[in-house]
Amino acid sequence: MTLTLRARLAVIATIVSGLLLGGLSVVSYNVLARWLDEDVTTRLTELTDGLHGYLRLDGDTPTVEYNANDSDQTSFVHEATRYYQVYDSATGRLLVQSPDIAPLGLSLTRGEIVLLLATSLPSDITTPYGRLRIVNSPIAGPGGRTYLLQVGVSLRTLDESLSRYRDLLLVLTPLSLVLAGAGAWWLSGFALAPLSRLAHAARDIDIATLERRLPTRGVKDELEEVTRAFNETLGRLEQSIGEMRQFSTALAHELRTPLAALRGEIELALRATRDVDLQQSLASQIEDIDRLTRLIEHVLTLARAESGQIPLTFSAIDLGEMAGSIVEQLEPVANARSITLRCETAPAVVAKGDAGWLERLVLNLLDNAMKFTREGGCVVVRVSRHGERASLEVADTGIGMTPEVAAHVFERFYQADPSRSSASGGGAGLGLSLVKWIVDRHHGTVSVHSTPDQGSTFRVTLPAFPGAPRS
Amino acid sequence: MRILVIEDDGKVASFIQTGLEQEGYAVDVLNHGNTAGEQARAVDYDAVVLDLMLPGRSGFQVLRDIRSRKPSLPVIMLTAKNSLDERVAGLDAGADDYMAKPFALAELSARLRALLRRGTPRESVLKVADLEMDTIRRTVRRAGSSIDLKPKEYSLLEFLMRNSDRPLTRSLIIEHVWDIHFDSISNVVEVHINSLRNKVDRGFPVQLIHTVRGVGYMLTDSAP
Repeated sequence: MTLTLRARLAVIATIVSGLLLGGLSVVSYNVLARWLDEDVTTRLTELTDGLHGYLRLDGDTPTVEYNANDSDQTSFVHEATRYYQVYDSATGRLLVQSPDIAPLGLSLTRGEIVLLLATSLPSDITTPYGRLRIVNSPIAGPGGRTYLLQVGVSLRTLDESLSRYRDLLLVLTPLSLVLAGAGAWWLSGFALAPLSRLAHAARDIDIATLERRLPTRGVKDELEEVTRAFNETLGRLEQSIGEMRQFSTALAHELRTPLAALRGEIELALRATRDVDLQQSLASQIEDIDRLTRLIEHVLTLARAESGQIPLTFSAIDLGEMAGSIVEQLEPVANARSITLRCETAPAVVAKGDAGWLERLVLNLLDNAMKFTREGGCVVVRVSRHGERASLEVADTGIGMTPEVAAHVFERFYQADPSRSSASGGGAGLGLSLVKWIVDRHHGTVSVHSTPDQGSTFRVTLPAFPGAPRS
Repeated sequence: MRILVIEDDGKVASFIQTGLEQEGYAVDVLNHGNTAGEQARAVDYDAVVLDLMLPGRSGFQVLRDIRSRKPSLPVIMLTAKNSLDERVAGLDAGADDYMAKPFALAELSARLRALLRRGTPRESVLKVADLEMDTIRRTVRRAGSSIDLKPKEYSLLEFLMRNSDRPLTRSLIIEHVWDIHFDSISNVVEVHINSLRNKVDRGFPVQLIHTVRGVGYMLTDSAP
């Protein structure tokens, strides 16, 4: 699974926030529970200790004595005696029991009383009315008798508080997580926006506009560094392309001047001689020089094209009209080879393109098709429109290609069988690579479908001219 | 007719000189452009053949120099570069024609002829031996009987007849007869020459359309 950097950042930030929030919730809940618990225990100890001071054991019945006029004392004693009971440890008899504790059915056997006397730790019991914390303490009575005093406080308030706090956390934590996720998405978008702008600006730079640079903002940050590094790369690229262009110009001159001298001298020699054999030999040399010149021309055109030195002028081109005119002019050539050349065009298929280069494209495709079509064969040009694309097909009934050959056919200097195309002249395996270049510069596509011994179909699609009527 | 050739490459200059002299021109050669302006003013040349890439001064500067002194002197530019841009730049700078190296001598002399003939009215009826073309009524007759030609065949024949007795290269023919730049991609010229031969020459004792080895084609009634 691949996510965008923005999504990955947002997901990571959300996970981290989630872990933090979760951990914080768990810790705060536990700390709060512990604090509340300690408070209750402390209060219970206070109540027990205080109650000891008010308890009087006269005979067998313990009584609580306090000054009823003192409101502090009254409220203290009320709280302390809400849940309390006293046992006689010797007999196991229940001596006194507060009304609230009675329905809880907390009766103890003698064995339990003795056991409880030995432990001073508070214990929690669960009752239908909520949890109760009870602390046991011995009371030394008259005559060496020992009583067990049990004082309890209800844990209901504590439990309810904790439960409410937990509910609050259960709502707040996911909510915060959603907010954190949204925030992280926004923040990562905000942080990456300059990068997207940079990518957009960089994409607009191609070989013809290498002198352009990405805008810098004059601040020192990471993005600025990326921009500067990219601009430096552009600079180096511009320089080497510049050298390449100079080289191709120099090469053109260095190759053409001696060829010109050679061709001129041979032509003069040809004029001077009446010897037929020599004439033939000289004429054949001139043909070779012309072939060499064409080859140089092709190579240089491609080199110049690929280094962006050839500007294209785009306008609305009626593909059907153009194909029709070329087919008409090539028809005699096809007829001379007994090849049927046909053109099937839909009306008003208008592409956005450079007239000269599109002409060259159609010519190269037709030239290629006729080159590989035997006598009696057929070459058809079809022009049609599919939505926003104008399509041009050149189909032949020629010798076709194997898929392996078809895969390489647009590569420079590629020839499946060198012996068969060089004979027909001009073929240096460059025609189709020029087709590919033209198509690329027009933001089009080119593909080939071929079956050996049945023929090939080259299909070019080009962007339709905006505003042209849909067929 | 006196031609000034300004070309720094000695071999190229030499074959141009020899070739043009063989055709009856008087030829002066300069191997740099520094004094071209004065030379053009001092001598009454009929045309200039100027190389674009010269040591010292570029062909464009030399061209401006010549133009400032002799505004109407025909100039053909030669260049070892061949791109549409430079062609347009050359013509914009005031050159009358433009040729890329390497070129055929026959083509250079054909272009020179065309420049020198400029201004003289074009004949409306062309005649080579018993072949006649009426360019107003667009009819062609040989030995009195009318020949039916397709538009391209007609244009090709007109070009051949206007330049009769001169060898014409394929590229020159393509440039003048076809509106699409076929280059060397297809043998479109050969095919049309063949069909013209079938219509114009077949059955006649004198063949008018000749193939000139190493050059191209020529329409003439005297065998070369």
